[in-house]
Amino acid sequence: MPGDQAALVSPDLPLRANLSARENIALIPLYQRHYSAGEAARQAQALLEQLGFATIADKRDPDMSPSERFVAKLGRALILRRPRLVIERPGAMLYDIHYPAFLREIAARFEDTPANWEVFDFDWNRPLYD
Amino acid sequence: MEFLLNFVERTGAKAMGWWSTSYGVLAFLSEVLSTLARPATWNRATLDTIIKQIYFTAVQILHVYLIYVLAISWVIITITLSTARDVGLFDAATEMIIRVLLLELLPFLTALLIALRSGSAINTEVALMKVNNELDALSHCRVEPMQFEFLPRIIGGIASVIGLTVLGSVLTLILAYLSIYGLSTSGFAAFSNTISSVFSVGVLAGVAVKCVFFGLALTTLPMAAGLETPKKLFMVPVSVLRGMMRVFLALVLIEVVSLALEYI
Amino acid sequence: MFKNLHLKVGLFVIAVSVLALAFLAYVLHARGFFEQRMHLQLAAASAEGISPGMPLTFSGMSIGQVTSVTLNDAGGIVIKAEVSQSGARWLRVDSGFTLDKPLVGGAKIKVSTPDLSSPQLPDNATVLLLVTDPTQEIPALIERVKNILANVEHITRQDGELNSTLANAKTISTRMSGKYGVLEGVLGSEENARPVVNSLKNLEGLTAKLNEVSVRVDAMLVKTDRWLFAEDGMSEQSKQALAQVRAMLVDAQGSLKRVDELLKNAVDVSANVKDGTQDLARLRADIDDSVRKANDLLNDINRMWPFGGDADMKLP
Repeated sequence: MPGDQAALVSPDLPLRANLSARENIALIPLYQRHYSAGEAARQAQALLEQLGFATIADKRDPDMSPSERFVAKLGRALILRRPRLVIERPGAMLYDIHYPAFLREIAARFEDTPANWEVFDFDWNRPLYD
Repeated sequence: MEFLLNFVERTGAKAMGWWSTSYGVLAFLSEVLSTLARPATWNRATLDTIIKQIYFTAVQILHVYLIYVLAISWVIITITLSTARDVGLFDAATEMIIRVLLLELLPFLTALLIALRSGSAINTEVALMKVNNELDALSHCRVEPMQFEFLPRIIGGIASVIGLTVLGSVLTLILAYLSIYGLSTSGFAAFSNTISSVFSVGVLAGVAVKCVFFGLALTTLPMAAGLETPKKLFMVPVSVLRGMMRVFLALVLIEVVSLALEYI
Repeated sequence: MFKNLHLKVGLFVIAVSVLALAFLAYVLHARGFFEQRMHLQLAAASAEGISPGMPLTFSGMSIGQVTSVTLNDAGGIVIKAEVSQSGARWLRVDSGFTLDKPLVGGAKIKVSTPDLSSPQLPDNATVLLLVTDPTQEIPALIERVKNILANVEHITRQDGELNSTLANAKTISTRMSGKYGVLEGVLGSEENARPVVNSLKNLEGLTAKLNEVSVRVDAMLVKTDRWLFAEDGMSEQSKQALAQVRAMLVDAQGSLKRVDELLKNAVDVSANVKDGTQDLARLRADIDDSVRKANDLLNDINRMWPFGGDADMKLP
């Protein structure tokens, strides 16, 4: 299945609303790779620190700002460790900041990961990236 | 002719609707069972969520439940005793109380209470998960919501019905003894005799199985109803309405079937 | 918070498990699971009304129950029962086993042991089961009560024996209480005649009383009828009362027969006054006795069955 190859960050794939950012990310090591709850939480926390957003670990979806929510979704996509990372319509998720710069800044922190980052955005937003 | 055709068409549509609903519920149940049977399900994380669900479903309302049981049992015991005294059937009063309260009323009322409180909450939550795309997000991540969302709620529901029924039954037994014999041990032998004549091992197992079915019905039916909600926010109340209606019908059906098995 | 939650759930789960296990152990103990049970075979002509689970009682206390009712190859009834070890000590070789089917309430097998010093009943013993059924006796009882009432009615009818007898007696007494009446002449003196006249006056009172008796018994029968056939209307106690009433009604029938005879005597007496005063005095004493007995009977019945005022059974 081609979907298996891509980890998606999309406005259509929200976080689990009653779980914190850390718990949302920890779901994958916990239920997919059968790590213990403590180990899964540790991995999630480490990822959030690498993203530079360790403070949102205990926040739930409704309490986060748009960029915090985006980072939590990004963390969940990153921990899937799929070859492609697709960010879909970032403007719909990061409507409160100049997102191309924000994306570049975060991507720079993950230079050494094998995943291939791709951003899908509307054509009329192209000037934003220049 | 036109009318007849319309009627047949409507009947067909209804039958199809019922079929797809039952099929959905059965498919969901079979998925529950297969998840239960998988050894990977039984890890610490699942256990933790089950504990959380038992806490929310049973422990949180324990004091309310016990007061409620106390009130209902007291009223029914008092009515039964005074009526039995009037008619001169006092000997049969203990058995009547045990049969009516312990075997039928308490399990049913417990299930009804949990269905009202947790069943409706589960239905709403699952419906919202479905409408908000959270379920799609989880399936994109290849994390099965069954293991950490659905199964713990089902097990928690069953454990809660059984646990609360046990606690309520013990409370009712004590209350019944005190109402009949007062604060004396003189009636203990007679009381034990009545209990032994009502509770065979088969009857006890029957009550336990009934509680399991109650717990299963009041968790799986709301979940199945939530899962079949169309992705429209205004359909959430409709989904809860349908789910709770099904829960009520299922509880009554289980009670009727259990009575039929016991007395026919 | 999380630890607190685990603690609470742990407490809940432990409390439920402990109570459930304790209850299970209690039920098993109450059912005699932990003690040896004694087995019995009961021989009966018919298994009608006998079902597994029916209790065996000794002095009203349950000591065991019927476990199975089957037919053997020869078509005979095999009723198996179990008795708890503590209950087995009440079973002796001369114990009687009676199937008790009350009008209301579950049937049970009553065990009665007249002599507790006789030897113990051995395990797996076969004993005879007697059957009593009060419902079969009720029609016969009603029939007898009806006969009695018919008799009473016959005696007190307008043109009945009693009335004509009393009319006769009146005529005689009028005749005899004349200034120098027959009576005085027969008895010799006025003092001797007075008790005889009094006894005849009492006879009038007796008619009135017997009328009243018949009315009251009539009313009672209507109520008894309704009462006996009201569903779930009777308890163990009323059954005993019924038996006593039956005995008393037989007694009353005897009394009324005697009244009948006495009245026949009275006819004879009035026709043949010459036979002397002794007969009349005895008649008076006997009549008084009968009236007293009839009254006692009614009082007894009234005492046991409160028919007056609020006599209707209250059903749930």
